[in-house]
Order: sequence, then structure tokens, then C-alpha cells
Amino acid sequence: MLLQLNNIFKWVNSGGQRIFLLKDINLEVEEGEFISIMGPSGSGKSTLLNVIGMLDAFDEGEYNFLDESVHDLKEKHRANLYKEYIGFVFQSYHLLDELTVQENLEMPLIYKKFKGSERKAMVADMLDRFSIVGKKDLFPAQLSGGQQQLVGIARALISNPKLILADEPTGNLNSKQGEEIMELFKQLNEEGVTIIQVTHSEKNAEYGSRIINLLDGRMV
Amino acid sequence: MLKNYLKIAWRNLLKNKIFTLANIVGLTCAFAVAILLTMTALFELSYDQFHENKDSAYQLYLSNQTPRGPEISVSNPVPLAPALKEEVAGIKHIARSVSEDVLITYNSKELSLDAEYVDPSFFDIFTYPTLMGNSKNPLPNNNSVGITEKGAKKIFGTTDNVIGKTVSLKIGREEQPFTIASVLKDAPSNSSVDFEIVVPFETHPEYLSSKDRWDSQFHPIYLQLEKEVTVAQFEKNTIPFTALHYKGGIESDIRDGAVPDADGRYKQFHLMPITDRHFASYTTGAAKVDRVFPLMILGIAFVIIFIVSANFINMNIALGEKRLKEIGMRKTLGAIKKQLFFQFWLESLFVFALSLLMGMVISNLLLNPFKTLFNTKASFADVIQPGVVILFGLAIFIVTLIAGGYPALLMSKLGTLRALKGKMEVGKNRLRNSLIVLQFAIAILLITGTLVLHGQIEFMRNKDLGYNKEQVISIPLNGKKNGYSVVELLRDELKNNPDVLSVSGADNNLGKGRDGSLSSSMMGFDYKGRGVVTNALTVDFDYAKTLDLQLVAGRMFNRDFATDSLSLVINESMAKQLGEEDPLSITIPMDDNVTYSVIGVVKDYNFQDISRKIQPLTLFMNKDWDLYYAYVKVAPKNIAKSFDAIKDAWEKVEPQAEFLGSFLDENVDRTFKREKTMATIITSGSILGILLSCIGLFAISMLVVAQRTKEIGVRKVVGASVSSVALLLTKDFLKLVGIAFVIATPIAWYFLNEWLQNYASHVSLSPLFFIGAGLLATFIAFVTVGTRTVKAASANPVKSLRTE
Repeated sequence: MLLQLNNIFKWVNSGGQRIFLLKDINLEVEEGEFISIMGPSGSGKSTLLNVIGMLDAFDEGEYNFLDESVHDLKEKHRANLYKEYIGFVFQSYHLLDELTVQENLEMPLIYKKFKGSERKAMVADMLDRFSIVGKKDLFPAQLSGGQQQLVGIARALISNPKLILADEPTGNLNSKQGEEIMELFKQLNEEGVTIIQVTHSEKNAEYGSRIINLLDGRMV
Repeated sequence: MLKNYLKIAWRNLLKNKIFTLANIVGLTCAFAVAILLTMTALFELSYDQFHENKDSAYQLYLSNQTPRGPEISVSNPVPLAPALKEEVAGIKHIARSVSEDVLITYNSKELSLDAEYVDPSFFDIFTYPTLMGNSKNPLPNNNSVGITEKGAKKIFGTTDNVIGKTVSLKIGREEQPFTIASVLKDAPSNSSVDFEIVVPFETHPEYLSSKDRWDSQFHPIYLQLEKEVTVAQFEKNTIPFTALHYKGGIESDIRDGAVPDADGRYKQFHLMPITDRHFASYTTGAAKVDRVFPLMILGIAFVIIFIVSANFINMNIALGEKRLKEIGMRKTLGAIKKQLFFQFWLESLFVFALSLLMGMVISNLLLNPFKTLFNTKASFADVIQPGVVILFGLAIFIVTLIAGGYPALLMSKLGTLRALKGKMEVGKNRLRNSLIVLQFAIAILLITGTLVLHGQIEFMRNKDLGYNKEQVISIPLNGKKNGYSVVELLRDELKNNPDVLSVSGADNNLGKGRDGSLSSSMMGFDYKGRGVVTNALTVDFDYAKTLDLQLVAGRMFNRDFATDSLSLVINESMAKQLGEEDPLSITIPMDDNVTYSVIGVVKDYNFQDISRKIQPLTLFMNKDWDLYYAYVKVAPKNIAKSFDAIKDAWEKVEPQAEFLGSFLDENVDRTFKREKTMATIITSGSILGILLSCIGLFAISMLVVAQRTKEIGVRKVVGASVSSVALLLTKDFLKLVGIAFVIATPIAWYFLNEWLQNYASHVSLSPLFFIGAGLLATFIAFVTVGTRTVKAASANPVKSLRTE
């Protein structure tokens, strides 16, 4: 088992009232799964993804990731954990505008303290795998949206994570580009990477092996 | 990793060109100016620090409780120093010293040198090393002189083989031969005593006549205490000495109603540490050591660095908002706080290092113009010592740590999700606003200072001094001939020139002439059982006519009266001091049973420094005494031509001596050189301060406008006019200037009021100065911010809303 959420609650207090963002979420994810989270706006999809990604805290419940109790960990250890095992893909790519494709790919490796030569080899591998060798010296602004997302996924993958978390990865793309990205995810999943994605589109959700529906912070 | 950081830093700097430029230009200017100012201040503070015995060397001064209140005297009678050494314990060395110009002749070359008449132990107390000749005692006997390199070059053109040469010096009215016994190194520029030639004290023209006189005081005394003796011990040791040797003076002071000091004494010797000497003033009747000027310069340097640092912090925090995405992204990729802090701090460090480097280059390039403008002799060589460099480095490091580190800390602390969503914590504007308020408070403070300082200078310049300073030229009589005869010869030479209205002379100058000498001559006598003190001035005929002095009663000296050498003219203050109903009836018996009678009273005029009150003055006319300055009054037209004619006449009368004539208004201006230097420094400080504050304000207004684009759009869509939106945006900034004004004004008032107390007559501290400064700051802020806000307010709202 990769991760397990038990009775997760998350809320904010607004005007004396407690508004639940996540309510009693129970979820087990096995390695090799491809899960799609669906639901209307404000149903808590992104919040759930952020909790799984350890970017956001929760107020109640237990979260175990590879036999570590995330709720008991300090921030630094949590950071080490997700740095090691989780890659993020965002709707708006979040590439660093000041860095070239190659440098963007290299950045996670820097924080993992890989040596310069190793980094070069890994980046070259990744560029090769995604067929973007020719674009390595371009800046994000010089790429199309689809290409930027490709780089974003390559960056998420470069440190060999066990889990990819994707928040509407195709939301800013046209349908053809979106389809290509989803095909890529499917292929990665077949290669053994666990993927959890948030999506609005039924069609994209179909790529997953399991669909979780959220409404008002609850799983339905 | 470092490489990656630097790369990101570099690209970020390039991306935000305007801000980078603003920061680097600001920091560079600030560093350059701060370096120069710090150098000047450190130079000032280093005065007399080079003496090896600086911890045990002192200048002697006597505090007197007189009927007019406490007074301090640094002029001493000739027998005092030997007597002290003889009778008071604790003195290791003691030396008398007089600074005077001396006329030196070598082969037919004749020129005036800056001389120091000193006792031989002067060189035991102070560190003025010799280059050649006897290093233990540069003045082995009373026929020898020591010359500095500068002096040797002036008279011989070289410092080689000058030892043993014979020169003649004009001592009093006679020329005497002296042998050069040693060549000294030039006194360092941070020495408060400067000289070109040292002459044995006992050859001073006044020495013989004053050798045993305790009532003739004209020279300072320096001494070095024995190692184990403290100042307090020494001062205590002098009490019986003072009681014995100053008995007569103390008795007459008591008779005239002097009030003793807290210890019940009327006269007490004190010691001023030699390192405080440059900063000491005695005008208020107490010794005051005042390092305000160098500290003020340091303060301005600090303030300028503060202003740019505040800019840097403000801009970096505001710019950080643009980089939130990067921060968030780096965090999701595993960056920890420390790494982010280090990255951002490194970027700041980079900017600081670059600016510091450029600042150093610029300060080096500006060194010479700076020295002229600010009238300082400071140089890097004087200031650069290991300690100072380390301290300066440390200061820069701390500034970088705070100014660069604070935004870095703030940004590295942000939560990952918050950062990714691009939201910075609210409430951070408080810091920004306080920094802006402080910047403007400083700017207003400096502007007020500038206005008041210039006001005071103008006041002093335009003040009616009681004499005609625009049309009168004073000429130092630096030749060999007797003063009265030179004036007479000049009168003769110029009598056919219709533009020369009148010629006279005196033994003292008005203002500070090109010979740079300032002196005063005082005398005291008993009048009807009371002690009276007056300034004394010897003049020639036509003195009042030449200077346009006004006569209140009686007449001036006149050629038609043979007895005028026994006549006196006094000023109103003197008449008041004597207290007679009819001043013209006064007769004064002075020494040698000669009785003088008052023949006229002149209206008070500022014969001394303008900062002082007009004191009692008595004019003498005695052809047996000497005159040192000639005065020539010219007609208001053809002034330049008349000046040349006077110069020509001078060259005929004194062909060997240099012509140093100058108009009295220049002389008066020269007396407030210090104020002018101060004004230049404060003015440039405030201009720079304002400029730098504006750079910061401009950048901040740009960012604020960018942040509020959506708000502006919405407001316009619901019907706000351009002017109302512009006003809304500008108002926030002007409010800050208003707060700054409220903070700065009382502080400015307090300090300026304190400062103006130093002047007997000064401008009144009118509210207009403060209002003017406030309005100026407001106007500058308005222009700076207004350009941005008006532009933002007139933009098409559809466009600004679309960017969301």
C-alpha cells in the first residue's frame, strides 16, 4: 500500500461557523493505481490533492504514507518525504520563467543534492524520453502550452517519484494537446508510476482505473 | 547550487530592469557619498591622534571668574611656563609656542613663512619628526631654526644641503641671521598646529620685553604630565601656585564683584587633552569639546545608507510578490527555508557587492572635486587603517544582512500553498509605510536644516556690520617697511586716482584676509577703582572715513591736532562700560603715567567675528606703534580697475612682498567658511536624501499601482473619474509625507534652535522654514507619485480588468 487516509477532516472558521473543506475522507491507494478525483467547483478536489501531497495540513484524522505517519512528522521531514516520493503537475505548469527547459528540469535534482555530472545525465535522459532535446535551451515563454506541460511532467518525473499528483493537468490546454498529455499519463502508469489526478472532464477521468467523486468535501 | 542561484539572480535582475537600475544607482550613489563623508568625518576625528604622547599631552588653560562672568584664557604670560615647571609637581615637559608669520630672506629672495616660535621641549611633547639634522633637538640654540620640507622648497627650491645655510628673519623691526639646524617632515594634514619653520621661542620679538611680565599674555602652553600623574592631581597641585602668582588679579576681581566658582576659587588652571584641542571652544566661559561637525557628517552618511537600504527592503518585498510562484514551486520541489533564504540573500549580496564596488570607484574619482567643494584635506591614506577598514566592512556586512536578509526571510517563511496561489500575507504594508515615513522625516529634517543654515548665512552676509564692506579693500602689510610709512606711501601713490576715495591703516584686519590670520588684542586697566577690559586697535588717520564708521560724538584723529597720539576714540560699548554721562570728558591714566583722553565715540561696529557680540573697543593712534593692514576705499564704479591700480601702487611701494589685498566682503565671507562648508554638506546630503527617497517612492508607487490595477478598473467601470482615482492613489502617499512632517518638525526645531544659540545675532526660527520644507517634500512626493497614478487612472478599465 502506498498511502492511506483515515477519517480526514479539514475546516476553516468563518464568522463563527465551521465550514468543512474535507469531511471524513477515507482512502487507500495501492501502488500502480491511476485515480481520477472528480466533482463540481468547491467540492474539495484540490484540497484533497494538496493534503495528499503534504502541501496542506488537515485538522483531524490520520495519514500514512509508506508506513510513515505524516500527521506526526515535522515540516522538514515531511518536505524530505514528498521531495523523495512525490512529483507535482499543475494546471498552469508553474515552470520558472527565468530558467530554460533544461534548467527547470535540473532544479529538483539540485535540491536533492545530486552531483553536477549525474544531474546532466538525468536531464539528458529525460529530454530524450520526452523528445524535447531540441527545446532544451528555450525559455518557458517560448513554448506552447502543451509543450510547457510536457516539461512540467518531465520535471515531476525526473527524480523518479512513486506518485504523481496532477491538478487539472489539461485545464489550460486545447483538446488535442490534452489528449496527448493523458496518453502520456497512461503510458507512465503502465510503466508503474502511481498517478492521482484532479479533473473536470469525464473523458479524462476515464483514463484512470478508479474514479473518486467529491461533493461538499465528502466522498460520494 | 551556487551557480544556479547566481544564474537566477542575474536573470531576475535583468528582468526587473527598472528596479534593478533604481537599486543599483541608488546604492552606488549612497555608497560613494557615504565613503567620502565617512572619510571626511574620520579625518576630522583623527586630528592630533598621531602624537605618540597623545595620552599624556595637554594644552593649558586658565578659567577666570571675572566681574563679567566666567572667562577662559589660553594665552599665557611668558614667565608662567618656567615657573610652573619649577614650582608645580608632575610636569614632564612644558613648552611655550606662538604661531606667527615671519618674513624670511635668503640671497635677495624674500617671502613670508608660517612660523612656530617654540621652546625646545615642544619636540619632546609632540611628534614632529626631523628628516635631517638633530632629531633629539631640532633647535640646539637660539641662533638656529628648523625648516619643514615645504618651507625649504619655498625658500631654497630643494631640501638637499640646506642644513648650515644662513637665512635672515625679520624679528620685530630688525633682521637677524639664523642657521638652519634641521629639516623637519611637514606636519600631517590632521595636525592642528601647522608650520613651515620653527624658531626658538626666546627670539620672539615680544620675549625680552615680556620676560618677567605676568600681565602680558600672548602664547599657548603645552605640557606633558609624568606617567603617574592624573589631570585632577595636577590641577590640584596648581592651586597654591595660582594663589601666589595671580594674587593681584584675583584681588581686583574680588573688588569688582566677581563670583567664585563652585570650589570657591577665582582662577584655576585646567588641562585640555591634546586630542580634544581641535574640537575645543572657550567662547562661553567654559571649555567645550564639541565633535558635532564630524559626528553630523557621519550621521548624514548613515542616514543616506539608511534611505537606500529602506528602498532596497521596500522594493524587494514588493517585488517578492512577483516571485511567489517561484518560491512555491521551489518548495514543492523540496527546497527548505534555509535554502530559500540563502538564495534570496545571495541575490541581495550580489547587488550590494556590485554597488559597493562601483561606489568605491566613483568615490575615488570624485575625491578631488569633493575635497575642494567640502574644503577638507582628508584623503584615503589618512583614514585607511586596519581597524577602520574592518569596522567599515563590518558595517557594510550588517547593512547587507538586514536590508538583503529581511525580504529574504519574509519570503522564505511563506507557506507553500499560499506562495503558489500568489498571495502574500497582508499587513506587511505597515513596515513599508514606516520606512517611507522615516525616509521622508529624514528628508524634511535635512531640508529644514538646509533652509535655516542658508538663512543664517544670508543673514550674516547681509547684516549691516556698521562699516562699508563693499567698497573697501584691506591689504596685509607683509613687507619689511614700517606700517605707517607704507600707508603714507600708498596714500601718496593713489592720491591722483579719482576712483580711490581714501586710504588708512590699522593693526588688525576686518574679517579674515587672504593672509589667513585672525588676531585680537585686549588690554585691561583700572578706571575709577574698577577693572575695565577693552579690545585695542591702533589706526591711522582717516580710519572712520575709509570704513564709513559713524561718529556718535566728538571727532576722529586729525592731522591738525598734534596731541592725538595721546587721544582715544572708543566705541559705544566701551562708553557704556565706562559709564560716564559725557564720554568726551573721560581721561584714562595708563601705564608709565601717561594719561589719554577720549576725543570721540564711534557707533558700534562688528570688528570681530559676526557670531560674537560687539565688545568694547578702544582706538589708538601712535606712530611709534605698527600697523599691519592698509585699508583703501574705492568708488563704486570701475572697481576692478581701481583694484588693479592699488595692486600696481603696492608693487611700487613694496616690490618684494606679495600683494594679498582683498575686499572686506570677501574677508567677512571667509570668516564663515565653516558654516558654508556645513551648508554645502547638509545641502548635498538633503538633495541626495530626497533623490534617493524619491527613487524608492517611485518604485513603490509603480508596484502599488500594479497591485491595484483591478481595483482601479472596477472603480472606473462603476463610474469613478480619472482625477478621483488618481487622487485616491496619491492620497495614501501624501498621508505618509504628512506624518513624516509631524515627526520631523519638532526634532528639526529643537536642533536648529540649539545651533542658532551659538550666534549672538541670528535669524529668527520662523515657522516659514518648516512649512517651506514640508511643502517642498510634499510637492516632490506628489510629482514622483503623481506621474504613475495619473497614468494608471487614465488607462482603459477593460484592459486592466482583463489582466486579472
